[in-house]
Amino acid sequence: MKQIALYGKGGIGKSTTSANLSAALADTGLDIMQIGCDPKHDSTRMLMHGTWIPTVLDLVREKGDERISADQVVFKGYRGIRCVEAGGPEPGVGCAGRGIIATFQLLERLDALHGDVIVYDVLGDVVCGGFAMPMREGYAQEIYLVTSGELMSLYAANNICKAIARLSRRVRSKCALGGVICNSANIAEENVLVEEFARRINSRLIAYVPRDRIVQVAEINRQTVIEYAPDSAQAGVYRALAAGVLEITNTDLTIPTPLEMDELESLALEFV
Amino acid sequence: MNLNPSHLNLSRYEGCTITGALAVSAFIPDALTVVHGPAGCAHHNLSLLHATLLQQDRLFLPPVFSTGLREPDIIFGGEDALQRTIERALERKPRAVCVISTCIAETIGDDTDAVCGRDWGVPVIHLHSSGFLGGSFNEGFVNALKRIAGLVPPAETRDGGINIVGEKNLEFEVEENFEEVARLLGVLDLDVNVRFVRNETVDDISRFSAGCLNILREPALDPIGRHFQEAFAQPYLSGFPVGLQGTREFLRAVGEACGSAADEAIAAEESLQDELSAEFADLDGEAISLSPFGFQCPEFSLLSEVAEAIGLRIDPEGTEIPVPFGAPVGTAGIRRMLHQWRRFLHA
Repeated sequence: MKQIALYGKGGIGKSTTSANLSAALADTGLDIMQIGCDPKHDSTRMLMHGTWIPTVLDLVREKGDERISADQVVFKGYRGIRCVEAGGPEPGVGCAGRGIIATFQLLERLDALHGDVIVYDVLGDVVCGGFAMPMREGYAQEIYLVTSGELMSLYAANNICKAIARLSRRVRSKCALGGVICNSANIAEENVLVEEFARRINSRLIAYVPRDRIVQVAEINRQTVIEYAPDSAQAGVYRALAAGVLEITNTDLTIPTPLEMDELESLALEFV
Repeated sequence: MNLNPSHLNLSRYEGCTITGALAVSAFIPDALTVVHGPAGCAHHNLSLLHATLLQQDRLFLPPVFSTGLREPDIIFGGEDALQRTIERALERKPRAVCVISTCIAETIGDDTDAVCGRDWGVPVIHLHSSGFLGGSFNEGFVNALKRIAGLVPPAETRDGGINIVGEKNLEFEVEENFEEVARLLGVLDLDVNVRFVRNETVDDISRFSAGCLNILREPALDPIGRHFQEAFAQPYLSGFPVGLQGTREFLRAVGEACGSAADEAIAAEESLQDELSAEFADLDGEAISLSPFGFQCPEFSLLSEVAEAIGLRIDPEGTEIPVPFGAPVGTAGIRRMLHQWRRFLHA
């Protein structure tokens, strides 16, 4: 079983990338599970054809965690992809990070974490220990950073590198960086910039996803690009990403070397 | 001896803020306490209170409610649990509710002030008690006194007598110490107004501002003294009387603060103190050494002052005498201490 997590700045396209990656992986006949780890709970919606599935934490709130079964939190979407949304508290109260921890413990207890590939789609910033949960306890062993060439997006990706580097110092840590996915913001020479960023943090660019209107059109039609326009060029990009992820083996994983802020800024300056 | 409120000194300056807050709120008989946190926070601190008092042969178990926070409350916020628990407490018709917040409630950002601030019909007072923000038993205690001062309305007159502030409700000789202070005030023809807070009702507490002088239990409560000085223009004395000379000076200071002559009272107290040397004449010429129990500070002039007055020698070879846990209060406190010394010397 391969367990991967996508991290990146909020709004950068993690959920779109995750859903299309899951769909492309499922197309190859693999058994896929996608877990949305964001209180906004919009990770799996395109895989579920627009349906907002009940979140694990909604159910915990309503029933208490003793009376929840796996079929109440795991929903089958496109090509049988098993979708889970962690959910979270109402914005502004409680502790969403603890919610992620509770969700993982519940899924573990329900024996729900299985398949050929599990894709964890995680909130933009690793704001606390709870949001590092997918990286801990041997859950996701490969982390992929989703970023554009914008400075603040690289900054967020760099922060996640700090979390990976920190966690990797723990004795039983199994998580490392699989690679960087560039989700284009239509910046000139963006792929070169992100490739250079990846190199400097001791990683590699594994896919360049261009900006394409088809992504928005598919979304309006409540589908992934893979499902809505399988013959499109963009679908091909996602299939290539899936192939790239499947090719990554343990020996390709790296412990990232995060940059200092001034290094990051001078890198961005080189490409202005 | 614990006159120096340094952090190395004593458990009072360590420990949990909740215990400090509870050592205040539990002593308002017609108020109820809610501990906003996991059940263990209430249980453990109440047990500590109970066990401490039981050791002094005082059976006391005040009603304390817990919001009993569990993981879902942490994830989704604990304010609903707090609301339900306050409602449950109000069913018992208390005159006030003290809400003691805990580490976890502060960590997840529960707006305890907002819940307490609703119109409950009676005062619901938030005592901030998250230990991770720093602080100890003493900070919990002092903060609780400050917050409960919110129950006190301003007064128009200052004819209510003397307020006693911050008695150590958990100390062994709490009543004896109060009685000694009350006796000394009586010699000056002064009465006690409010014991803030020891077994006074919410109504009693509201008379606090009519007091003409606040006497603090110990100098560590100076922030509270200043607080009341600003709020109600009440002067304060920093501590209970300690030592032979200290007790006479206490009488003078109280007399000055209240505008009454103290010379006669001081003379009477001095002859009372002189009687001690006659009463303990059998100790004259004996040698004692002061044992600090490993953590109490033996450099305390009070003890050598008393030893000198009785004719005791302080000598490393002398009979080992434990340094008292708290400084004896007034002449009566010294007399009790001397009784104890006699038991050690004649053991």
